Amino acid sequence: MTTTDDRAVTTPDTTLSGRDAYRDELPKDVAGGRPEAGTGTHPVAPAGERPEAPAGERRAPVAGTVPATDERRTATTATAPLPDERPVTLSGRDAYRDELTRLAASDDTIVCLEADLGGKGHPFQAAHPERFLNLGIAEGAMVDMAAGLAAGGHKPFVSTFAPFAALRAAESLKLTLGYLAAGVTVVAPYAGVSGAWFGTTHHCLEDLAILRSVPGVTIAAPYGDAEMRAVVREAARSGRPHYIRTGRNATYESLAPLGDELPLVNWEFRAGDREGREGWDAVCLVSVGEEGTRLALAARRAAPGTAHAHLVYLDHEHLTGAAAELARHHSRFVVVEEHRGQGGVAEALALLLPACEVRSVSADRSWPSQGGDHEEVMAALGLDLPAVLDALDAFARTTS
Amino acid sequence: MTITLEAPPHDDEIVATLTERAVQARRLVVDMAASPRGCHLGGSLSVLDILIAALHRAAADDGTEVVLSKGHAAAGLYAALHVSGILPENPAPLYGLAGHPYTGHPGPKVPGVRFPTGSLGHGVPYAAGWALSQKLRGRPGALGIAVAGDGELQEGLVWETCQVAAAQELGNFVLVVDRNGGQNDGMVADISPLPGLAARFTAFGFDTTEIDGHDLAALTDLLTEDRSTARKPLAVIADTVKGKGVRAVEGKPGSHYVTIDEARAAKWKRGIR
Repeated sequence: MTTTDDRAVTTPDTTLSGRDAYRDELPKDVAGGRPEAGTGTHPVAPAGERPEAPAGERRAPVAGTVPATDERRTATTATAPLPDERPVTLSGRDAYRDELTRLAASDDTIVCLEADLGGKGHPFQAAHPERFLNLGIAEGAMVDMAAGLAAGGHKPFVSTFAPFAALRAAESLKLTLGYLAAGVTVVAPYAGVSGAWFGTTHHCLEDLAILRSVPGVTIAAPYGDAEMRAVVREAARSGRPHYIRTGRNATYESLAPLGDELPLVNWEFRAGDREGREGWDAVCLVSVGEEGTRLALAARRAAPGTAHAHLVYLDHEHLTGAAAELARHHSRFVVVEEHRGQGGVAEALALLLPACEVRSVSADRSWPSQGGDHEEVMAALGLDLPAVLDALDAFARTTS
Repeated sequence: MTITLEAPPHDDEIVATLTERAVQARRLVVDMAASPRGCHLGGSLSVLDILIAALHRAAADDGTEVVLSKGHAAAGLYAALHVSGILPENPAPLYGLAGHPYTGHPGPKVPGVRFPTGSLGHGVPYAAGWALSQKLRGRPGALGIAVAGDGELQEGLVWETCQVAAAQELGNFVLVVDRNGGQNDGMVADISPLPGLAARFTAFGFDTTEIDGHDLAALTDLLTEDRSTARKPLAVIADTVKGKGVRAVEGKPGSHYVTIDEARAAKWKRGIR
């Protein structure tokens, strides 16, 4: 009889299994410390990581000018872009709550779960109190219980801040949304650094990296009221597992089109066409999420004529289709996203489009340790309008 | 406070049937230990009587769902599902083989299994969520039964869920603890003990009872109870013996994961009664 746990049996003169080798090496490994992370190569070039160009090499933006709010652009002659005066609508999380409340009026299988961050006066609670469940501060239990609810025939929508959903409850998301493919929708406000001065515990710049690696999960980062509502309706209709990231309280005017049919690629403007080759090598901004899209729109105002494609769905299946559509019109992309460069959409597009050039404007690898509003904390991570325009500049330099 | 639950007297014929199922299932588990993969033998044998009684309740087809949260006892679950008539094919010859779903920890490809378990703690909220769904649908008599190990109670997720279940007044949620005293690296009492366990559940707002986890009559009585009007979830602390039924390994922590040859399997199976 062999009576062991499931570990490999080894003898001193044989090659050790991986974990036994770890055990054998543990004391000196601890004493010697760990190797520094992040020393590998990177297929795209996050703006925050790029080396400073010598002052003499700095150039003006490809079109338009920007305010000199960032020291990296002090060499640039800057004037303010036109203000965005379009009207605002509900914030992403308020639009979610409102739309779900409306949907639940005609679908009694919808249940709304919160982990004590739904706020007082949640409209779903007021309209459907018997199906509104604040489970308390218990994110992992909430996601797992949603799996049980879905198995029982319900459509659970669960919501908590992105760091607590995507990181604390990551294993539950893998099993519930991925392996089980349960019809559970996770709505995650406070994505990126929208938590701003609340600090790093309330930031989430890693959720796309995690969720995009879980097969079968539909991932959306809607911009504006209308997109959020359309995404929520689709989640309820499809019964497929969804992860929806949004911000805190900021509001953004919806992009056209406003209906249920969200295009795979929402072109604000495209300059090129692969067939005719005309303009195919013009740079195209690709915007992801609320702040990525806000920055891309601002860059378009500062640099009129720049192509801009907005993406809502970010999972591998959607992004594969979007990449093909992007490559039909352009070959050079600047992806703007409020996420770490590693594991973000730019990396994914770079792999999907090996014949194209992809640059990333995303959060750098630092940890914000100071207060400030959302925009200020983003800027501390190298994620601001000057960074977007710098990335456009970089492409312009390679063609000049 | 530990309470004594009143339940209808069991049917001797049913208990005799379940007892025979348990014997058959233990022999299947030994067969799986004799597979090239081996299996988590001790915990599979300790939990078998609980699973057979719980699956008997679920067979009433009232919406009750059984979730084996201590998923490493997959061999025990597969055997119990087979002898209970839920899993038609004999899983023992197929255990751990490519092309078959009988992995070392169970997943939803196995007939009769809804949830993937094995990463400890998750089965408890799966069952609680199921109970909540039944309650919301106006079927509070349908139970969500989670079967956890005592070592598994070291996972915070278990207690997080207990907090939620009590707050939601999930009277149709039942958590059965297979208290065999062992865990992967030794004894629960030596690694991270659980003193006052019944009192802990009671303090969380559960009805709590302690029971002999190999007494099929008592288990059947308890798990067939009508809980449709209960306001508190139920914790059942079932005292069991690791390796129960195979004298060579009974009570031995080393029985946690076992690989044996066919000759030894045959000998052990002859001793199971």
